[in-house]
Amino acid sequence: MEIIEKIKANKSDDNLTEIQKICLHKLQSSPLPNPKSELWRLSNKSKLSNFLDYSVNEKDSKFDIPYPKNSQSTIRLIIGENCQIKLIEKNYSIQQLSEDELQKYIKEQISFFKQNENWSDLLNLSLSCKNNILGLKINGSKIPPIEIFSHASSNSLKAKTLVIFLEKNCDVELLQVNLGKENSSLSQSTFFCLKENSSVNHGVVSYGKNKSNLLNSLNVIQQKNSTYNLGSLHFKFNYARFEISIKQSAGNAKTNIKGMQITKKDEQISTYTKIEFNGPNGFLDQINKSLADDKSHAIFEGSIIVPKVAQRTDASQLSRNLLLSKLAQIDTKPQLEIIADDVKCKHGATISQLNEEELFYMRTRGITLTEASKLQLSSYFQEIISFIPISKDKWDLLDKLLNEN
Amino acid sequence: MVNENLVKDVVKEPYKYGFVTDIETEKIEKGLNEDIIKLISQKKEEPKFLLDFRLKAFKKWQKMKEPDWAALGYKKIDYQDIIYYSAPKQKEKISSLDEVDPKLLETFDKLGIPLTEQKKLTNVAVDAVFDSVSIATTFREELAEHGVIFCSISEAVKNHADLIEKYLGTVVPASDNYFAALNSAVFSDGSFVYIPKGVTCPMDLSSYFRINSGDSGQFERTLIIAEESSSVSYLEGCTAPMFDTNTLHAAVVELIALDDASIKYSTVQNWYAGDEEGVGGIFNFVTKRGKCLGKRSKISWSQVETGSAITWKYPSCLLLGEESVGEFYSVALTNNLQQADTGTKMIHIGPKTKSTIVSKGISAGNSKNSYRGLVKMGTKATGSRNYSQCDSMLIGDQASANTFPYIKSQQPNSEIEHEASTCRISEDQLFYLQSRGIEFEEAVSMMVSGFCRDVFNQLPMEFAAEADKLLALKLEGSVG
Repeated sequence: MEIIEKIKANKSDDNLTEIQKICLHKLQSSPLPNPKSELWRLSNKSKLSNFLDYSVNEKDSKFDIPYPKNSQSTIRLIIGENCQIKLIEKNYSIQQLSEDELQKYIKEQISFFKQNENWSDLLNLSLSCKNNILGLKINGSKIPPIEIFSHASSNSLKAKTLVIFLEKNCDVELLQVNLGKENSSLSQSTFFCLKENSSVNHGVVSYGKNKSNLLNSLNVIQQKNSTYNLGSLHFKFNYARFEISIKQSAGNAKTNIKGMQITKKDEQISTYTKIEFNGPNGFLDQINKSLADDKSHAIFEGSIIVPKVAQRTDASQLSRNLLLSKLAQIDTKPQLEIIADDVKCKHGATISQLNEEELFYMRTRGITLTEASKLQLSSYFQEIISFIPISKDKWDLLDKLLNEN
Repeated sequence: MVNENLVKDVVKEPYKYGFVTDIETEKIEKGLNEDIIKLISQKKEEPKFLLDFRLKAFKKWQKMKEPDWAALGYKKIDYQDIIYYSAPKQKEKISSLDEVDPKLLETFDKLGIPLTEQKKLTNVAVDAVFDSVSIATTFREELAEHGVIFCSISEAVKNHADLIEKYLGTVVPASDNYFAALNSAVFSDGSFVYIPKGVTCPMDLSSYFRINSGDSGQFERTLIIAEESSSVSYLEGCTAPMFDTNTLHAAVVELIALDDASIKYSTVQNWYAGDEEGVGGIFNFVTKRGKCLGKRSKISWSQVETGSAITWKYPSCLLLGEESVGEFYSVALTNNLQQADTGTKMIHIGPKTKSTIVSKGISAGNSKNSYRGLVKMGTKATGSRNYSQCDSMLIGDQASANTFPYIKSQQPNSEIEHEASTCRISEDQLFYLQSRGIEFEEAVSMMVSGFCRDVFNQLPMEFAAEADKLLALKLEGSVG
């Protein structure tokens, strides 16, 4: 009950938006997710309650972007900082969604929500005030890369919501950066709607600091012939959950996902993905990598659902995990639920440490153990990082990963 | 191409073990309470420790909730509407097989189980369990020469109480799960095997379970102990008559392997599966677990699951001993409205332990077939390895195949590999075979058999042949 009371204490009933009211009402019956449900079973309870401990006031401190814009053409938006945008160019247009469109879409989404599966979204939408919801409609092609930032200031719990409509035949590159400040909790929910023939290269980079927490939920609906490429990276969070739900509403769409999570110290980072094929000829290629060191815990759960209508689906899912310490642990559960018979579905999972033979080979060539491990890790990371739409000179993720951690 | 009518025609293959033997049985009243448990224990003239074990299990069971996490849907079981003890009436003591009711022998003959030792066609010793009690165990003398004890568990309770007291419930504790607790409270009979140190069991051992009454549940318990450097291969088969009601079967199997011992446990499960409408059939809730206690010990499970309306079964291995090995080979076939949620658990506790999982699921008709497995590397399991492979084959567009592998590792110096795939019988391959003059049915059967070959190779020979035939029979025509 606590969290609901906290939200209500902060705002009088009249100030709450309709969406906030609906979500609060839904949360009322069970304010916390069921810890016995499959999706929350492994989640660290005390870390989750710590996530909710911070105050929920709406004021945000000024946000400094950690790296400069390298090209003038990049469009940069910060959720929560009055970002008004209306760009209408020859080839493309980027506009804000009207209040009505936004409300209608979110309400429709809420109607499909389930308590445990969408708890993060319900919490997000109960917390998100008007300023912290950004809705965009993107149309056209040759659109300059878009960067969208979310952050929570220290000692607070913040919710940011992003809704994006990608119109027909649109093609865009979009990088979402979630920054965790020290002692902060960020709830980020993203709703993506890809219309026919549209395509997006979506990058999600979540980079925390000391004791930062993140609940990151991503809901994607893909219409026919759309292509959705997602590259994601989560690291340096005390507690983070990345929940991905992708629906190919009429099949005939392509989804490529490459994700990675890195945990150190006593961190817990988990990724939950649910991919539903609601039509024929769907395609999925997914790889999720985890690396757990020190006393940390990395979790991956991926489900692929292929109902009877989804004939000729081709889906593959791979979970690759590196366990680098005796006190760390990794849980992984790739799962398939299939009813259609004419399908090609496969999944694989491995958990191991760095390949000793490779290490030995490099050491016999005079490379030190540290260097050799770094080389191995960099090749492990590179596969994912190269998939994230971000220019290397701007933010050398690889360096950050190898040196800072 | 799909030929719906052909499918429907051939799927109607009758269940040939569905007859009922008309034999006088002794049953106790329906229901479950402490008095019933005391009565069962009294009928079996059990020592006090066993009655206490039963009562303790019953108390725990009363506090437990029926598990609902499996991907199964079935109507609620009324545990008070079941007869917990049913036995064919016979003379107090049987000194030889000649004294067994001939009707019973006839039943087992019909099932193709050679109970009479004259019929030494196969070198297999059989323990036959009819409803709640063990009828006969063959080849006992020959086995005794080697020091092997093979008898019903009730006899073992009387003659080898020390072994029972020492090992019963050590692998599957009474409070392990809902159905294991129920079994611990009311188990009626089952088999007991003890292989002494250094002995390789001279023949395969086999138990055959037959449910005959429609309203009684079957709760057998099997305990196999393999002492140092011994080895045994054990086969288990089961059938039941056709009833409109659902019969509950909740068994517990415990295996213990000490240093250098090896146990191979094979099952061909062909309980009645219910009709095409899903009426009747056995609810099969089984807890099977082996403990590789000793160094270099090995437990291997192989199973062919074709029967039962509901199957809930996860034969597992606890790998405690250094360099111990666990194996699981399974073929699960579901047709019509059958539902199976089956798999294994490989818990690596000791160092350098190894496990292999090969699971093949075939779902046809409107059935639901799920693989659910757990592979866990504990903190001390250095240098351990696991390899899992789960393949599913879908026949028809109404069946569903699910895979739920849980993988957990707390040991960096260990390796886990898992792979799973789902496919259907390829039309190209079917066309190829048919164009070479092979009948459609036979082509399908050949391909299914090929799909399951990895598992069949692990079965003892006589079982492998039976399993192959069984699959072909069960699947005939369900492809198009």
